Amino acid sequence: MSPRWRKVVRDLSLHWFRTVLVVLSIVIGIFAVGVMLGGREILLREFDADHAASIPANVTYRTDDFGDDLVARAGDEPWVSAAQARRSATFRYRRDGADEKRTITLEAFREFDDISVAKVVPAGKDGWPPANGEVVLESSALQVTGYAVGDVLSVERADGEIVELTVAGFAHDINSMPAQFAGYETGYVSFETMTSLGESDSYNRLSLTLADEGISWAAASRFAIDLRERLFEPEGLRVYHTEVPEPGSHFLGDIFSALSLLLVALGGLSLGLSAFLVINTVSSLMAQQVRQVGIMKSIGGSARQLEWLYVVMVGIYGVLAVAIGLPATAAGTRWFTDFAAEILNFRVASYTTPAWVVVVEVAVGLAVPLLAAAVPIRRGTRMSVVTALNATGVGGKHFGHTVVDRALGMIRGLPRPVALSLRNTFLRKGRLALTLSTLVLASGVVMAVWSVQASIERTISDLETWWNYDAEVDFAVPLDAASVEAAVEDVDGVAASETWPVFGATVVHADGSENESFVIVGLDPDTDFVGPTLVEGRWLTGEGPDGIVINTDARDSEPSFSVGSTVTLRVLGQERSWPIVGVVRGQMGGPAIYCDAGLMAEAAGIPGVTRLLVRGEDSDAESEQALLTDVEERLSEAGLQASATRTRADLAGQLREWLGILVAFLVLMAALIATVGVIGLTGTMSINVMESTREIGVMRATGAQHGAIYRIYVTEGATVGAIAWFFGALASYPLSTTLVRALEGAIGMPLTYAFSWSGVFTWLALMLAISSAASLAPAFRASRVSVRDAIAYE
Amino acid sequence: MAPEHSDMPVVSLRSLVKVYDTGEAPFTALKAVDLDVYSGEFVGIIGKSGSGKTTLINMITGIDHPTSGEVVVGGTPVHALGENALAKWRGRTVGVVFQFFQLLPTLTVLENVLLPMDFCSTYPLRERVPRAMDLLERVELADQAHKLPATLSGGQQQRAAIARAMANDPPIIAADEPTGNLDSKTAEAVFGMFERLVEQRKTIIMVTHDNDLAGRVRRALHVADGEIVEERIHRERHMG
Ligand SMILES: Nc1ncnc2c1ncn2[C@@H]1O[C@H](COP(=O)(O)OP(=O)(O)OP(=O)(O)O)[C@@H](O)[C@H]1O
Ligand SMILES: [Mg+2]
Repeated sequence: MSPRWRKVVRDLSLHWFRTVLVVLSIVIGIFAVGVMLGGREILLREFDADHAASIPANVTYRTDDFGDDLVARAGDEPWVSAAQARRSATFRYRRDGADEKRTITLEAFREFDDISVAKVVPAGKDGWPPANGEVVLESSALQVTGYAVGDVLSVERADGEIVELTVAGFAHDINSMPAQFAGYETGYVSFETMTSLGESDSYNRLSLTLADEGISWAAASRFAIDLRERLFEPEGLRVYHTEVPEPGSHFLGDIFSALSLLLVALGGLSLGLSAFLVINTVSSLMAQQVRQVGIMKSIGGSARQLEWLYVVMVGIYGVLAVAIGLPATAAGTRWFTDFAAEILNFRVASYTTPAWVVVVEVAVGLAVPLLAAAVPIRRGTRMSVVTALNATGVGGKHFGHTVVDRALGMIRGLPRPVALSLRNTFLRKGRLALTLSTLVLASGVVMAVWSVQASIERTISDLETWWNYDAEVDFAVPLDAASVEAAVEDVDGVAASETWPVFGATVVHADGSENESFVIVGLDPDTDFVGPTLVEGRWLTGEGPDGIVINTDARDSEPSFSVGSTVTLRVLGQERSWPIVGVVRGQMGGPAIYCDAGLMAEAAGIPGVTRLLVRGEDSDAESEQALLTDVEERLSEAGLQASATRTRADLAGQLREWLGILVAFLVLMAALIATVGVIGLTGTMSINVMESTREIGVMRATGAQHGAIYRIYVTEGATVGAIAWFFGALASYPLSTTLVRALEGAIGMPLTYAFSWSGVFTWLALMLAISSAASLAPAFRASRVSVRDAIAYE
Repeated sequence: MAPEHSDMPVVSLRSLVKVYDTGEAPFTALKAVDLDVYSGEFVGIIGKSGSGKTTLINMITGIDHPTSGEVVVGGTPVHALGENALAKWRGRTVGVVFQFFQLLPTLTVLENVLLPMDFCSTYPLRERVPRAMDLLERVELADQAHKLPATLSGGQQQRAAIARAMANDPPIIAADEPTGNLDSKTAEAVFGMFERLVEQRKTIIMVTHDNDLAGRVRRALHVADGEIVEERIHRERHMG
């Protein structure tokens, strides 16, 4: 190997600490960008793939009992490509001896291994298909409580008898609402088990896929209505609900678009951050080499030769970084994808990162360092030899002395070492500018992410103000309001109660399509059981011909909904047009429409109430659960069977679960970006101190003690850290408001902005700790080398 | 001027001015210097600290650019060359020895000597190592060939730097206080090497503080305040 290439190798290996730092900062850049962008691609792709592979239904009917002949007839319809029937029933149960009752939806299939629509995939061979007396749980149940094979669930039949089911295994159903969001578990049982639970041996759900894969929602809806009339009505079967989702959509769609947005935004920011980090490191490296460039030119090295030398050197850093970064990123992405798959309840078939993301990773690893080096390389190889030989580092000398000295001179009583280190900091102006830009960006992003998280937390607590009661009970059949209220009136701890009629509502469009996604809630406009937060328009007045108020979830699931417009609703078979007078914040509990109970009765002839709300004395989760247990007990004594119950804490918990997904991801990303920031900070500080090795030697030669040297560099590090923190905190405000506004768009819900002061101060503490520690290590190294070596250091 | 030379000068400076821009008042370090150096001359430049010796020699080697005036070395108008052309030209024409050695810290002594040949592709590959070893032999450093510069003494580093300056067998060697950091015995050895090079018709331009050595060069230029104020020719020694 010729001596100049040997120099490259020797520079890399003899200065291994620097090599490690440079490579590490490039690797972390590759990692952050790769995990965010790659993770996003894989997440969206695999979720879509898993969803598509499940053959999601285009139409699902919830009906009276029917048999195989009807399924066959549905399958023969020319528009229908597959028809799948199942029986679905909801029960209350207790787990192994637990006091608390929970809700479970059990589904039975005739042929478990031949489900054609909305497939359920067993997690293993265990317990599949479920035998008599056994239940296979949808795996999201694991997110709620640690179920295990062999657990016994005591399921309550409609007649009050208890049937024990053993958990035989787990299965995955991407089309079922994950337990942590739904507030109930889903399980799969045989028809034998179903009948032992008092259910009939027939179906009550029919799911269809349509032959035309590109069908519009409106066309699918019209077809569903037409088929409903031809298939069920002649048999005298009632259809309780017809669900026609937007083709290809999924109930986690909003969360996915929010996540995708966060990942793109933060991936882009990490890209910028990595670029800064790499530019910073590489240009400081080049600054250290300027003198050697001068020497080489003085002995005949041409600009071209020297440029090549450094291009190769930087290229080697890049290649090393890519060699470490790509596998590290792949592993990180895999971990990230698994993390996402677990909370979002989908299965990952392939972790392959899309080629373009790999290209971006390689670009961050190779192109960015080379581009970053291009300017200093060019400058270094073109400057006159004498300038190069006298060069001390980045930045002009002119700026320094006078201005800084004068400024520092004004601060009286500044200890000498502190004054000296502050001077050092400001003297390397170019260096400082680069370091600061990197750190300000990193700090800004970290603190912005903290504020986004705080905003979500604030939004959650704002949304919780809706629930001004402690527990709610649903009834499968409408009941007489007075008898329900009478039954719970004298239950210990019940302070107040209220009953609501809650029914399905269908929006009828002029083109014949129907949207059945809604529930309509009849309430007293003056009720104090809920605390609505208006987004638009007004709340119900109860006076005159009042209209309806919709929640934000409803607004997002029906394009024709807007304040001032009039919509046609069908409730309990009766159609009526209603003006929309207001929009309130939803609690992510689904699309709901609120109206005056009196008006609702006029419009639809209400057969009774289906929901009971009770307010107790204490509002902690335990008291609420106790209250609810007592209420349910009393109701069942009165022969009023609850179909589902929820405490306020449960509801708030589900809300937290929904938005918590975003929080979880934000925390993860904040951690990742903070790591980038921390490594960048460490690297930058280390390089700063390394550049001062000669100075340290001189100071030691002139009698400076270790302690004094430490103090100088730690002060310098902390000063830089504090400055970066300050500007980062300022930058985090516009960054976080932008992110929060974008998130609102993605999840279709207004968020309450909150600036995270605790995040700002936590980061200050971290920043000071890290920047001083990062300076301490290299200062320690430098203080250990002999004076002679330090002075000879290049 | 040296009238006995009828051939073209190897180094020719005409109205050479160097002004340093120090930020406040510009400082004129060379004030219209004229100088001709002929092939085979051993020129010593002496003068007080700060008089402009380094500045002058840097003009000859093209290490720094003049503010105005001409520098012609071996027929090449150095003042007109760009940095790139300058480096190539210097590598083959002028061997530079610095006051502070300026060896590359991560290359061994041998590799430092090999580097100019590598940059200028002057010798066939397989001749380079023997040649470098030969040069190190001449500066009595053969046994230190595989050490890193930082492990050598100042005198050893300076000798290595001289070996490196000779690597491409340049016709001119420009040395800025090559003996400034050496004890008198080593300084004597280095000086002896320069004398032998002169015998081989090399042209040597050397800045020195050492009056004794200055008295032994063939031609001594005294620089003061950016001007050549005095010139002494020691014909007898050189011819002897
Ligand atoms: N880069 C520079 N910027 C400003 N002034 C300079 C610069 N280099 C040299 N000078 C000034 O030019 C004058 C000549 O400097 P030079 O280095 O040539 O002196 P010298 O004769 O080599 O001194 P010494 O014997 O101490 O090496 C000095 O006054 C010096 O202060
Ligand atoms: Mg000098």
